[in-house]
Amino acid sequence: MEEYRQEIIISAVVVYMVFCVLTGLWAMRRTHNASDFFIAGRGLGPIVVSLAIFSSTLSGFGFVGGPGLVYSIGVSSFWMVIISSIGYALCFFLVSKRIRMIAELRDCISLPDIVAARYGSESVRFMIAVTIVLGVMGYLATQILAMAVVMQAIFSGTETFANIGLVTCVIISSAVLIFYCVTGGIIASVYTDVVQGTIMIVAGSLILLTAINVFDGGMQEATSIILADDAETIMPYGAAGIMASLGWFFVFGLGLAGQPHIITKLMMNKEINDNRSMLPLSLFGYVMAALLWISIGIVMRAAVLDGRVEPLALPDDAASVFLSVFTNPFLAGIVFAGLFAAIMSTSDAFLNIGTAAIIHDIPKAIQGKSLENELLWARVVTVLLAILAACFALYSHFQDATLVAILGAFGWGTFAASIFPVVAIGLNWKGASVAGAVTAISAALLINFISQLAGYTFPYGVSGQLVAFVSSMALFLGVSLVTKKPVLDTDIDRVMDI
Amino acid sequence: MRSNLIYSIFVIAVLMALTLIAICLAETVPDAGGKPHPEFPGLQIGGDGAARLQHIGMLGFAFQSFLLIQIVLLSILGVAERYRSNSLIIYMSACLAMMLLIGWEMFSGHLQFLDTNETDYFLGFPNATAWQTYGTWLGAIPLVLIYSLGFRKFIYTEEDERQFNTLLAEKAQQQE
Repeated sequence: MEEYRQEIIISAVVVYMVFCVLTGLWAMRRTHNASDFFIAGRGLGPIVVSLAIFSSTLSGFGFVGGPGLVYSIGVSSFWMVIISSIGYALCFFLVSKRIRMIAELRDCISLPDIVAARYGSESVRFMIAVTIVLGVMGYLATQILAMAVVMQAIFSGTETFANIGLVTCVIISSAVLIFYCVTGGIIASVYTDVVQGTIMIVAGSLILLTAINVFDGGMQEATSIILADDAETIMPYGAAGIMASLGWFFVFGLGLAGQPHIITKLMMNKEINDNRSMLPLSLFGYVMAALLWISIGIVMRAAVLDGRVEPLALPDDAASVFLSVFTNPFLAGIVFAGLFAAIMSTSDAFLNIGTAAIIHDIPKAIQGKSLENELLWARVVTVLLAILAACFALYSHFQDATLVAILGAFGWGTFAASIFPVVAIGLNWKGASVAGAVTAISAALLINFISQLAGYTFPYGVSGQLVAFVSSMALFLGVSLVTKKPVLDTDIDRVMDI
Repeated sequence: MRSNLIYSIFVIAVLMALTLIAICLAETVPDAGGKPHPEFPGLQIGGDGAARLQHIGMLGFAFQSFLLIQIVLLSILGVAERYRSNSLIIYMSACLAMMLLIGWEMFSGHLQFLDTNETDYFLGFPNATAWQTYGTWLGAIPLVLIYSLGFRKFIYTEEDERQFNTLLAEKAQQQE
């Protein structure tokens, strides 16, 4: 069986991609207008939304970068994962009910729509929409590049496709992504998310079982090897230290409720009462899938220190080397399909919110109305956005990675710092003002952008993202408290009393 | 606190900002954020743990505690003011106490290891790390339970549902 390893892996990936294409065709018949395209007509059940939420949360980073980080810096990286229970709980407490109510009341199809309704301000809508577009470009480019790199690695292991180029892989993977996103919109995205989420749960569970059995003494033997080499790496704050770890706790824990691609999903469930089951379901899925992140990283570090595996050329190789050395071909096939699932489920979510910001929110903020024939424009812009991101990814790979790195700063941390106060707190506090929102978003963008551009590092591993988030929260609350209490529209005022 | 909760959240946010400033201004130690492994490229090591915590250890723990307090306060903010009953406050306080205990066990367990260089293991990890990994993960489960099991009591009651449906009906009537 081992001699057919590459063929088995490729088959698993191809089957998965064919499924995505078929789902796109099926969903096309259910997509009749912009509301269907962007928020599935608010008609989804709790299981579908839960799987879509967690699979959008765990991107390709969770399958490649995550294990690589644990391999490189040890337990520090755990903090990005173990805060999931806090992050999801906070997200549901603060966002889920009111975002769903306002979406139905005002017929909102995007997060900037919600923000504009809550604050009665087109400026805040514009700022959130621009933040989303910038973040989406950075995120999408890195996801497409990751997908192509993995595809190239898989194909190059065969004789037939040994010389396949990166550009070809970008074209193939982007084409599949574009096809199901354009034909089926968010309906295709969430139903592929269901399968993507299931694959990720299965992959995470099986990898944990495999990882535990790599050393005779189980996980304890692996952690003992790491402890003997450098105790700090396996202690609670890891090699990166206490403030880097707590920074991730803050940015990933609280920040989950500020991620537009995740909280937009909270507008899609059919019944508000579904929220009570969506929280535990999303959390369960995430925890199971994230087992892969932790277990591969720990076992690979111990295996390298112990001499069982050659040192890796790059930390990000941890997952692929683990799969080739310690797993059978079928499990490797499932995990590689899971990896594509993780990347695609996040990419389709970003394509969707980016398109909504471009064709719906920015025109509405500037000229007071969105484009005519939104569904057609949604499909056109989805294609253009994906192609732009793919070109951007290739340019960054072959020419200059600076721009992607800068836009990468507009990723999780910037969304967290600029959107969390405005949305998560703003939906629960009538005193939140436009001035507070504008100040918080501006501060978050500026601090992140400047610290990234200047390459400034704070002492003790304190990150620019943490500084931006703490500042934006304090400023949002402070400015709102000292400015005049806003007068809300009657319907929004009543929603905020419920 | 129930009606002026936002002031408590603001105070904690300011305290977190001040703690962060104090940490950035504290005396620095070399390689506080880790350094390359001497033998294996791509690996980082933490090195001297005691030195890294010497000037900011308690400030770091204070930051973590403020963060946990803020998480619980924000969770209470997500409950409509009229449902912030004594029973909810008791549940939330118990949840906070548990999270702070877990945070302390992790921090003090780490300090103890730095003193003795000895540790027991729990489910594959050194004790302090087990508190961090399993404790942090499971420590927020009470929050999840309060939300899911208390959904109809604290989050979206039958009265809320009626009010919202009335609002939707009025809106539909206006649009006609």
